[in-house]
Amino acid sequence: MEQDKLSNAILVLSCQKRDELAFRELVNRWEPRLYYYLRRLVENENDVWDILQETWLAVFQNIRKLQDPLKFPTWLYRISHNKAVNLLRKENKYVQITDEQMADYCQNNNTVLAAKEQTELVHELLGKLKLAHREVLTLYFIEGFSINEMAQIIGVSGGTVKSRLYYAKHKLHEALKGANHV
Amino acid sequence: MSEANSKKEFAENLLAQDPPSADKQQRYKEALLKKIEHRMCLQKAVIVAIYIVIFLAAFGAFMLREYTDNVVHSICWGAVSLHILLWFLIYFLRGIYMLTAGISEKNSGKDEKQRWKKQDRFITIVAILVFAYASTILYCSFFLNDPLKAAHLAASIFWATVFFLFWYPFGTASLLAKLWLEYKKMELNIPKSEEQNLKRQDK
Repeated sequence: MEQDKLSNAILVLSCQKRDELAFRELVNRWEPRLYYYLRRLVENENDVWDILQETWLAVFQNIRKLQDPLKFPTWLYRISHNKAVNLLRKENKYVQITDEQMADYCQNNNTVLAAKEQTELVHELLGKLKLAHREVLTLYFIEGFSINEMAQIIGVSGGTVKSRLYYAKHKLHEALKGANHV
Repeated sequence: MSEANSKKEFAENLLAQDPPSADKQQRYKEALLKKIEHRMCLQKAVIVAIYIVIFLAAFGAFMLREYTDNVVHSICWGAVSLHILLWFLIYFLRGIYMLTAGISEKNSGKDEKQRWKKQDRFITIVAILVFAYASTILYCSFFLNDPLKAAHLAASIFWATVFFLFWYPFGTASLLAKLWLEYKKMELNIPKSEEQNLKRQDK
């Protein structure tokens, strides 16, 4: 894991010096994850490809401004989140959840353990969650981002992320229970 | 370790549920890399164009010195060509200084980084002000009638330029020396720790 982070940071540093091969490697490395994340936010596949392209062009344009190469994943997801939200806002599909009540955050490990055994089911159930819940859960499952990192990506407070993650895990847990009973 | 591995495995399995189609991925990647290549070429072209324009401007000023009949103008055009070339050299030296500082900065603490940033900002602002002031003086000297006075004025502006011509190379040299010392320190520390490890193993 640490090695991954380090090699990523080296790639970012090379990109900052305009190394084309490093940029190619960075795209190859992050594209599948970014694609999966964006697919959970945007329905149309062509739109996803457009957002991906815009994201990478923005990365290329602004990578020199990134002070800490270790923060590249958060920065990358933040850019793609903003691009996706802009598109969804244009289509009036983006609804920011603000009326959620703050819940005590608890690590619902049972849900996570159950989810790990049933990837296919989790993938299906993710599609049935609300967009905001789906987003935090995708970020949590794919990258294992911390609350603060997710808050930076989505542009909301840490409390809101905690609350969303709690609800998302709770709903996933219920859905998994239901599916297992059937 | 196993938890991290299982998390990674789970993420990979989840990604495998909705992989991008190979055909589209290939097409999109080619288009993206072409765009990036174009942008890179454009950036390089812009930089080369700026360099050429600066050199042409300096050379043009130098040629004007040859063709003018007015002695004051001849002196001033000569000073203009030198003024452009020297400030371009300062800009280039600043680039090298910043590059070295960027490498050395990574090992320093937050306070030191901020102090360095403040100092750099101050020097840059002073350099811009000096450049503007020198350019104004040079412009004014064109309207003088006495060639001796014009020569004195044109020569005086280079004192400030010389300061920056010294500042940046010396700054780069001191940063390089600092980096070299740190490297040497590291080199001296490595055998020590290795020695300690060997002693521990012997015990």
